[in-house]
Amino acid sequence: MLSVRDLSVYFSSSRGEVKALDGVSLDVSEGEIVGLAGESGCGKTTLSLAVSRLIYPPGRIASGSILFEGNDVLKLTATQFRETYRWKKIAMIFQGSMNGFTPVFTIGDQIEEVLEIHRYGGDPAARTRELLRMVELDPSIAERFPHELSGGQKQRAFIAMALAVDPPFLIADEPTTALDVVTQVSIINLLKKLRKEKHISILIITHDLALLSEIVDRAYILYAGRMAEVGTAEEIFRDPKHPYTKGLIASIPTLKSTKIEGIAGFMPDLANLPPGCKFAPRCPYAMEVCTKEEPQLKGVREAQSVACWLY
Amino acid sequence: MPAGSIERPVIALDNVSVLFTKKKLLRPVSVVRAVDGATLHVGRGEVVGLVGESGSGKTTLGRAAIGLQRVTSGKVVFSQGETSTDVESAKGRDWRQLRQHLQIIFQDPFSSMDPNMRVFDVLKIPLQAHGVKGKERIESAVEDVFRRVGLPNDILSSFVFQLSGGQRQRVSIARVLLLNPDFIVADEAVSMLDVSLKGDILKIMRSIADELGVGILFITHEMAVAKVISDRIAVMYLGNLVELGPSEAIASKPLHPYTQALLQASPAIDPSLREVTRSVNVKGEIPHASAYPSGCRFHPRCPFAMPKCSDQVPELREVEDGHYVSCWLY
Repeated sequence: MLSVRDLSVYFSSSRGEVKALDGVSLDVSEGEIVGLAGESGCGKTTLSLAVSRLIYPPGRIASGSILFEGNDVLKLTATQFRETYRWKKIAMIFQGSMNGFTPVFTIGDQIEEVLEIHRYGGDPAARTRELLRMVELDPSIAERFPHELSGGQKQRAFIAMALAVDPPFLIADEPTTALDVVTQVSIINLLKKLRKEKHISILIITHDLALLSEIVDRAYILYAGRMAEVGTAEEIFRDPKHPYTKGLIASIPTLKSTKIEGIAGFMPDLANLPPGCKFAPRCPYAMEVCTKEEPQLKGVREAQSVACWLY
Repeated sequence: MPAGSIERPVIALDNVSVLFTKKKLLRPVSVVRAVDGATLHVGRGEVVGLVGESGSGKTTLGRAAIGLQRVTSGKVVFSQGETSTDVESAKGRDWRQLRQHLQIIFQDPFSSMDPNMRVFDVLKIPLQAHGVKGKERIESAVEDVFRRVGLPNDILSSFVFQLSGGQRQRVSIARVLLLNPDFIVADEAVSMLDVSLKGDILKIMRSIADELGVGILFITHEMAVAKVISDRIAVMYLGNLVELGPSEAIASKPLHPYTQALLQASPAIDPSLREVTRSVNVKGEIPHASAYPSGCRFHPRCPFAMPKCSDQVPELREVEDGHYVSCWLY
């Protein structure tokens, strides 16, 4: 359904060109939940913005293509994209989107506005109630103002708004960050239900690998604007290959962990990247070749590929 | 000894309540019981995890522990050696001295420091305020602390806005450590950090307790984080401490239904969970603290609620050695 091919997005800055994404490819099939993970500044949000055609200067798409149902959305004009794709086919739940509601209008007004802009045919008030029920909220929420809702309720209401015109594809950028654990579980359950009942494809972008392990079919691990590892959830979480993925998984505190782990060092400056593998300065297994030549993604198992000189 | 107390604590919160009164035309219209009769002690070199959802009152309790929040009733006592100071009534010089001993690390490393200041100046101001003068003395103090928190000395001349989130949080830990505190409240200090950095910061916090003997009240909403760093865990719900005990015991044998729910909701790295809808044994969401239910405050969400629970408040009592719970099931 979505196929990102060799996408590079650069931002020009006073420090030089910042390579937010460099030759990244990613696929999402119909009805699939795919995860894109990495730490802050690795380029994961840039990728979601590129898919929604929201990269503005000083950012630019330097190369690559984004195919949605076979059409390159990068070739469309802004108007064409807005009229046929945005929200109708590709909807997005933004990071902190629960704070994305205007405080002065009711939830119902705001959802109805989306319906109106996208020329929804039926009764907007009835549709709003239906959407709220779909995300397991009481339809009376429509008459309430955002500040009257809890964080979890707002997040659900925003998901309802994203689903307003039945998009087949949903991008969820950090959908559970800033929510309480109990609420997080309920949002994860809701996304699972939407996939099952509406057959919707979801791309989840997050730094929370534990969340991904519970919901995605496949996961992509991004580091410093490059893909470090790709694989099915089983492959990535049961037997990660890239030292970065291993480090990330080991640093998640769970109830079973007895030791505190972390990855030493910091991500390199994207405007001033080291030669070779970008993870080499933090990697415990770094060899000579790692600092000289950049590894490419290489298949190690059916669906698992890793960009590392160890394999 | 009353429930929840330990011997020779560095900070002792005894039966502390913090009430916020909402007034209309000077007449009180509603009262929010942010903290209601909580007793919690933290020992030297001990890390106590304070866990609960947003709105449970954990931040208010943390602020009360270092005198940043006035308490409505109860006592907050800071002890150093043989001398004890009442945090509430300290004034003037006593208060200034107390401020040096009791410190806090905030959640958001982006808003807790002026982005347009140089790192050196951020660190210099608190030192000067507490009487450390002279560039050389400040520099040598900073060097020691930087080694502990894993920061290179060359960032001293950088501006705060040039630092990453992880570096900023290290700077705010360094800022606190420079004053040689006896007690630190870490309010969601790792919640905004990436997983790869979280571990490092947790390690630093643990070493501060182990090597410097600082008592730490570690506020978090993540049970797993509390478990890896704390010696003891206190679970808070709507202003009440509902369970308190050694971390191992809380994680392996939680007694209160709310603690059980928090543990069930705790993330696990387990791809087999994809096939199932995870169930958490708790209904709805935490109510607002101005409209708290009668009896046990958790009873409307509790799967085991009995008639008794809706009209009688359970006391926090010891059911196993050092393991306290306030629930009618025990």
